[in-house]
Amino acid sequence: MNLLWDIRYYLFYPSFFVTIIFPGLIFTTIILLLTIWFERKAAARVQMRIGPLYVSRRVGGILQLVADAVRLVFSEIIIPNGVNPTLYVIAPIIPLIFSFLPMAVIPFSSIPPQGSIFSVYSKAFYDQEIDQGVLVGYFIQYNLIVALAILAVIPIFILLQAWSTNNRFAILASVREALLSVSYDVLIVISVVAIAIEYHTLDIAKVVESGIPGIVANPLAALVFLVGMLMGTGRFPFDIVEADSELVVGPATEYSGFLFILAMGGGYIATFAYSFIFSDLFLGGWLPLSGLPGALITSIKAIIVLWFAVFLRGVYGRYRLDQALRGSWKYLLPVAFASLILGLVVGEVWIK
Amino acid sequence: MDKVKEYKKENPFRLFADHLQAVGTGIKYMISPQRITLKYPDETLSLPTNYRGMIRLYKDVCIGCTLCALICPADAIKMTTDGGKKLPSINYGRCVFCGFCVDVCPVDALKETRVHDAIFTNRRDLVFRPDRFGKDFEEQSPSEKVVRKMRTVIDEKKGIKYVPDE
Repeated sequence: MNLLWDIRYYLFYPSFFVTIIFPGLIFTTIILLLTIWFERKAAARVQMRIGPLYVSRRVGGILQLVADAVRLVFSEIIIPNGVNPTLYVIAPIIPLIFSFLPMAVIPFSSIPPQGSIFSVYSKAFYDQEIDQGVLVGYFIQYNLIVALAILAVIPIFILLQAWSTNNRFAILASVREALLSVSYDVLIVISVVAIAIEYHTLDIAKVVESGIPGIVANPLAALVFLVGMLMGTGRFPFDIVEADSELVVGPATEYSGFLFILAMGGGYIATFAYSFIFSDLFLGGWLPLSGLPGALITSIKAIIVLWFAVFLRGVYGRYRLDQALRGSWKYLLPVAFASLILGLVVGEVWIK
Repeated sequence: MDKVKEYKKENPFRLFADHLQAVGTGIKYMISPQRITLKYPDETLSLPTNYRGMIRLYKDVCIGCTLCALICPADAIKMTTDGGKKLPSINYGRCVFCGFCVDVCPVDALKETRVHDAIFTNRRDLVFRPDRFGKDFEEQSPSEKVVRKMRTVIDEKKGIKYVPDE
């Protein structure tokens, strides 16, 4: 009996459970496959097509993704002449790791002192700002800043990936990424600072536990964060970096087989991590519930945000680089400053 | 010096409303999709009578004048001697289905059929010698199930749609 209890204790220990099983590695991988299927189906529906169907007719072609994944995993990994093989192999892995890492610090739910499966750990993950435990891989007081800082590092590794593949399309794409990353990081940081001022905290858990979703308290910051998120992770209409009709697939041009999956998966997982931050900050996170059902609520909200982001592929074309930069600096930056002022006022008047 | 305006002035609220409208239209199509896809292996289009498909030779009519081989822009038709008579043979790997050979034939020995979807498993099968060229193209069904013939009609809402052809 004691052994069983031990196994249960270590299996549900948040640092393991959150990062590996539930909103972490395994769950994210399944969601990644479902998201790519949904992206193809949604784009097809909007464009009057049918999308993947014939692999499994009954369930709408959902097994097409499994077939594609199996084919890609077993195809040959070609390493071109004239590249550094070590850098070439680790270059797609590092952005993937840095897309996963924020999952360790984003709070997914709160832990009530009694009645939850996680109640045992509420002392170890105690957050004094909200006076109860937080379901998170590694608790840091300033988790908002840490999560965004980890996500902001990714463009550097995209540059590394493009440079190490020694391909002209990849290098053009990396120049675009460098130009874009300046503009979207400013937008994301300003909107998050607006939220931080409004709720007087840098702890995501306290923003959620204040009871007011950010989209009600500061809709401008929500809009700016959403657009910055789309821009930062290369979703349409800002699919400028991996513009497949101009630059093959951008930084991932030279990759094949399993390395290609890793190179392409990084963007989707970064979108998922941003979606978690969005759902926590702006959509109220786990709010009606807490404990394990709360984490489920947070994940559902994040999946809705992620699926909205990939659904835009059917709606928009691709902006030119100059259009995207003009849009972000000329139109969205003033909105971001307005959200900052709105955050100051609302934080002083309404949210104590 | 005239001042050249780089960009025209746009109303940012109008832009935002346009984006909302675009996303709204997308969601409308997402919820009630209007599909115009022809599900090919189960449904095929019924083709018009003078469709330019595979070409068929009438051996008895052919006089062996070699005009078809001369006019062929892709060098697909070559003349071969078959039992003392000159007859054309065709390589569908080269044919561009332009129909010049059919037009130029003085005795109408070549005819276009309506078959256009064919499967060849090796390149040697693409070359049709007079004995194979002179027969009707045996049509393989693309799927085991019964193929429905469809017809295109103009639709007010979608543009085109496919209805079963009798």
